[in-house]
Amino acid sequence: MARVRAGDAGAYGDLVRRHAGTALRAAVFLGAGADAEDVVQESLVKAYRALGGFRDGAPFRPWLLRIVANETRNLRRSASRRGATEAASVLPEPVSDPELSVEARARRAELLTALEALPESYRRVVTCRYLLELDERETATVLGWPRGTVKSRLSRALRRLRVSLEPVDAGSEAHD
Amino acid sequence: MTEPTDPLARELRALGADLPVSEPSATLTAAVMARVAAEPVPARPTRITGWIKAKWRALVSLLTGLVLVAALTPPVRAAVAEWLGFGAVEVRTSTGAPPTTTQPPPTAGGGLTVEQARSMVDFDVVVPTELGPPSGIEVSADRVVVSMSWTNGPVRLDQVGARLAPYFVKTVWDQIKFTTVRGGEALWLEGPHRVVVQSPDGTQRDEPARLAGNTLIWQAGGVTLRLEGDLDRARAVEIAESGNH
Repeated sequence: MARVRAGDAGAYGDLVRRHAGTALRAAVFLGAGADAEDVVQESLVKAYRALGGFRDGAPFRPWLLRIVANETRNLRRSASRRGATEAASVLPEPVSDPELSVEARARRAELLTALEALPESYRRVVTCRYLLELDERETATVLGWPRGTVKSRLSRALRRLRVSLEPVDAGSEAHD
Repeated sequence: MTEPTDPLARELRALGADLPVSEPSATLTAAVMARVAAEPVPARPTRITGWIKAKWRALVSLLTGLVLVAALTPPVRAAVAEWLGFGAVEVRTSTGAPPTTTQPPPTAGGGLTVEQARSMVDFDVVVPTELGPPSGIEVSADRVVVSMSWTNGPVRLDQVGARLAPYFVKTVWDQIKFTTVRGGEALWLEGPHRVVVQSPDGTQRDEPARLAGNTLIWQAGGVTLRLEGDLDRARAVEIAESGNH
């Protein structure tokens, strides 16, 4: 970071290479779909511009992901303003693993459906905390919420997921 | 913190690991670097409080009894480097010939009352008593800025809540001066300077940059205030200090 501020443009290239993969993953999971790579490119340029105000010693990754999350959100909002049908699903389909049993695959599909059905703020917190495996502090930075809010929304989101998954636990793979 | 052994949490992590995401394309880094090359180097802001403590206190003892105002001498200006972070305002210095003309500040046209504006933002809105009731009050769409106008002058006051990153980016040529408002550090920018609005993530607003006239910038309780108009420094400070903080 200090090297970038000192005018060493190549140092920013190192940061870009190190974090582009995670940023792309975040953009896809948060719903950027086919535009994920554009979102990441835009976010990295914006991150560079705002780097001067970046606090020394603070981790770069959650801060970059926050920009990615905001960009993704703006993209989804402008897409829905343009009248695009609310994307059928936010998350991509999981890769089908031949090792996985039919039950396990069905369970995974249920989980995905339940996740998609969550209100946006719940889905975002679950996505950051578990799908992207960020810790609580990073999640708070990425979503721009106080840590207490992350904690309470996360526990409410998990409760809702449990409720919507319950019938599956009780019954079996009745439906296809 | 949710217990790491929570089976649902474990399932969600496994789901995340199973969702396919392609690698970033080979051209991504190159595309970013090409765009970034056109941007100024994101220099570290010199924190004004630190700067004043380090460089200024020694002078203050010499200046006791005098108003705390001075033009920066060239070596000091070099120490201030490319830019200065001051609350929600970032001041960049630029070399070259300064522009000569300024426009009067844009009028805040909104018909809000002070009470309505206060209820829309989560910071304390200040109203200077010196100028009488404002002729217009507006709140930015993102509820970050409260702006007020007075037709006599005309004078404009913008108040910006606490930000992670600068909200106004100003480019000045030669005219940063330090002053105080109620004992707190303040900046006095004399003559035309360029202003653009930047959101926390670095997006600079599309609206055209404009040339602003004399401007006083100060902070109160995490809020950054900028007062702009055809005023001299003493009058600007007087107005600033008349606010019901």
